[in-house]
Amino acid sequence: MFPMLTLLSMFYYICLRRRCRSGSRSEALGSRRAVELAQRASGPAGGSSGGGELEQYAKEVVDFSSHYGSENSMSYTMWNLAGAPNVYPSSGDFTQTAVFRTYGRWWEHCPSAAPPYRRTPRSFHSKDYLELAFEEPVYPTAVEVLETYHPGAVVQILACSLNPFSQNPPSEVRWEVLWSGEPSKAPTHQSRQFSPTIRQLSFPTNLLRVEVNSSLMDYYTELDAVILRGVRERPMLALYKMPLIDMNDLSDGEDEVVISSQRHPLAGDGKHYTGNGYFDKLPYELIQLIVSHLTLPDLCRLAQSCKLLQQHCADPLQYLQLSLQPYWATLTDASLVHLQPRCALLQRLNMSWTGNRGAITSTGFCSFLKVCGSSLVSLELSCCHFLNEASMEVISQTCPRLQQLNLASCDRLQPQAFSHIAKLSSLRRLVLYRTKIEQTALLSILTFCAELQNLNLGSCVRIQDYDVVASMLSVRCRRLRSLDLWRCGSLTERGLAELASGCRLLEELDLGWCSTLQSSSGCFQHMARCLPRLRKLFLTANRTVCDSDLDELAACCPRLHHVDILGTRMVSPASLKKLLQSCPELKLVDVSFCSQIDTRAVQELSTLFPNVAIKKSFTQ
Amino acid sequence: QRPLIHALAVSVLPSGVADGVGGWRDYGVDPSQFSATLMKTCERLVREGRFTPSNPVGILNSAYYELLQNKVPLLGSSTACIVVLDQQRHRLHTCNLGDSGFLVVRGGEVVHRSDEQQHYFNTPFQLSIAPPGAEGVVLSDSPEAADSSSFDVQLGDIILTATDGLFDNMPDYMILQELKKLKNSNYDSIQQTARSIAEQAHELAYDPNYMSPFAQFACDNGLNVRGGKPDDITVLLSIVAEYTD
Repeated sequence: MFPMLTLLSMFYYICLRRRCRSGSRSEALGSRRAVELAQRASGPAGGSSGGGELEQYAKEVVDFSSHYGSENSMSYTMWNLAGAPNVYPSSGDFTQTAVFRTYGRWWEHCPSAAPPYRRTPRSFHSKDYLELAFEEPVYPTAVEVLETYHPGAVVQILACSLNPFSQNPPSEVRWEVLWSGEPSKAPTHQSRQFSPTIRQLSFPTNLLRVEVNSSLMDYYTELDAVILRGVRERPMLALYKMPLIDMNDLSDGEDEVVISSQRHPLAGDGKHYTGNGYFDKLPYELIQLIVSHLTLPDLCRLAQSCKLLQQHCADPLQYLQLSLQPYWATLTDASLVHLQPRCALLQRLNMSWTGNRGAITSTGFCSFLKVCGSSLVSLELSCCHFLNEASMEVISQTCPRLQQLNLASCDRLQPQAFSHIAKLSSLRRLVLYRTKIEQTALLSILTFCAELQNLNLGSCVRIQDYDVVASMLSVRCRRLRSLDLWRCGSLTERGLAELASGCRLLEELDLGWCSTLQSSSGCFQHMARCLPRLRKLFLTANRTVCDSDLDELAACCPRLHHVDILGTRMVSPASLKKLLQSCPELKLVDVSFCSQIDTRAVQELSTLFPNVAIKKSFTQ
Repeated sequence: QRPLIHALAVSVLPSGVADGVGGWRDYGVDPSQFSATLMKTCERLVREGRFTPSNPVGILNSAYYELLQNKVPLLGSSTACIVVLDQQRHRLHTCNLGDSGFLVVRGGEVVHRSDEQQHYFNTPFQLSIAPPGAEGVVLSDSPEAADSSSFDVQLGDIILTATDGLFDNMPDYMILQELKKLKNSNYDSIQQTARSIAEQAHELAYDPNYMSPFAQFACDNGLNVRGGKPDDITVLLSIVAEYTD
């Protein structure tokens, strides 16, 4: 008993000491506790020594993970965040706001959803992000986010040391968390000004990143503007003290990754360890199981505590799945090099959002893949702007068994890079949302990837003729279960007819904003008859959807659980009721802006069908 | 009816009018909603700098596209006339779709004017979004069908942009008479003149014996009518003047 306690307390002490050292390594002003101490000491006037406070709206939106609107539009797109607010303090579903592509948990319950990764730190909630550049770098005193519809989604605000407008190459790019919190839901959908207490920054910034999570939202959250308040001169903090480390600090929100490539303090020690005490009594698999619950930074820290635990923490079996997305801000090429020896058996890798501003290069990524990619089955590379044609070629060569590839919002990837994907003949899930893929490359992929089950071509604007794509799918990809054709403008009833006839296993079909589909051609009714397995059908903003279409869906598609018919004038409450009666599994129905279905009808139907979330958005 | 005054510190000054085409009330649609939204969208495009001064058709194109991106199912149709004054280069870029239009008056004479675009009598070219099924019945012209022109302007030039309510009721010489009364280029005078033009046109519109330009045109086409044409009247007036603080 006592030796065990001694061992554990020694172990704990080592971890504690590690924390202490990292505390002093970080910037002196980084700890919020120190700042609070200092501010209390110096008084409320606080340390603003330079001129007055500068208030800025965003000058430019430089990056984002998704948006609702069309790529060259100013309706519901992220670019609306630049400049002064257009809508605030009004609240409602307005075109002049910034809206993300998804909300709630609906997309997680679809066949196209990616399975979650293990080891996701509990403090990482972010699902979407946007980055804003301001005119002048300041030391921030406040950040205000003007939310005009269903507020509460902001979960993290970060600031970067890089000036995106400066011509000089940066010496070091750092991201610091100004504030982080849990996803919440405001009591009403009313607009609000969200201004959390932010940390003091040790460097001036004009580049902010806002991360959101709308899982708790009843509808799309919408943002109008972001205001950065700050001072030009570094605020003086009197009476700075060394931060006191206590037990509470160990669970501090900020997660500093200690994936360093240098020290292995216990390797090459010279000493021989003859025993590990009680640890030797525990079966190897048990320690592996315990260690499998640690997050990645903790795993790396634990590896530095003793030789036995280093062996456990470096065991490739701990790295079958690896999610590096939560650490996007600090992950570098060097981190990949350090992880390489452990990742020989890697099957699932999530590097979405990493490589921000040069921290990861294509070369670094390719080297990593060449060592660790041979068993890869799933690769998430959403918003990875370091990717280029060379990386795609390496992926296609080193990961022959790849089944899942996510390139969502890799909008800087050149069209010719996509042609390499055709070599991945085992692909089952492919996400190309908001990429520049062109028709030839896509048709080539569809020809050779006959196993495709989940395909996302949302907002792929470089494809000229979606009818040809649909035709190819119907011939080559008959196992297709989910297809996202959001905003695929050129699809007509011919393409839809072929698609429905050929891909009979379809469970999920998103035809949102495909305005060229005309209900009068009978295409929706034909589709309903062909696809009895349909569970999700989005016909968002197709103004021709009518009662007959809903009647046919009610008759042929009993498994429907998500339906969106936003914006049609041709659907009556009666046929909506018939649909609700015929489809017992319905969970989500969006009838926003359907002029025949007013709030009273929605209330009546909600009472009759309490398990269905009937959504009715509005502009007033 | 509010005139636009050339007194802003921007190097490019766009302005425009749009006229909702009637007949939509039968579909339960307010005909002014489409034209108002169209112009608000143009205004937003301009404010955010999403336009090229020398290409006003581009503004129309983008605005029409944005109307289709609205979740709200907009319906209706409208003419449009947009003029963009490039102050630095002293050039006016215009585009006109339908029977609204503009005049440029220099030294008491009309030196430039737009042409009416009509499919047939009283049926102007128009941008429209039709209800489903009615696409074959409702006229829908592309923004590309607009007439565009560019020309130099001089200090003292008066630019008048108006809907057909003005031109159908007031011939050029009457408009010029009113414009002669413009003494100087301050806000109040211009406001006054624009108002008086609009009011006069409004009066003439309800005069059953007056031979309005509209009546004249109808007669030329074999329809024996007299009197003015009651209609909504919008007049925008601007003067190319030196910028003073």
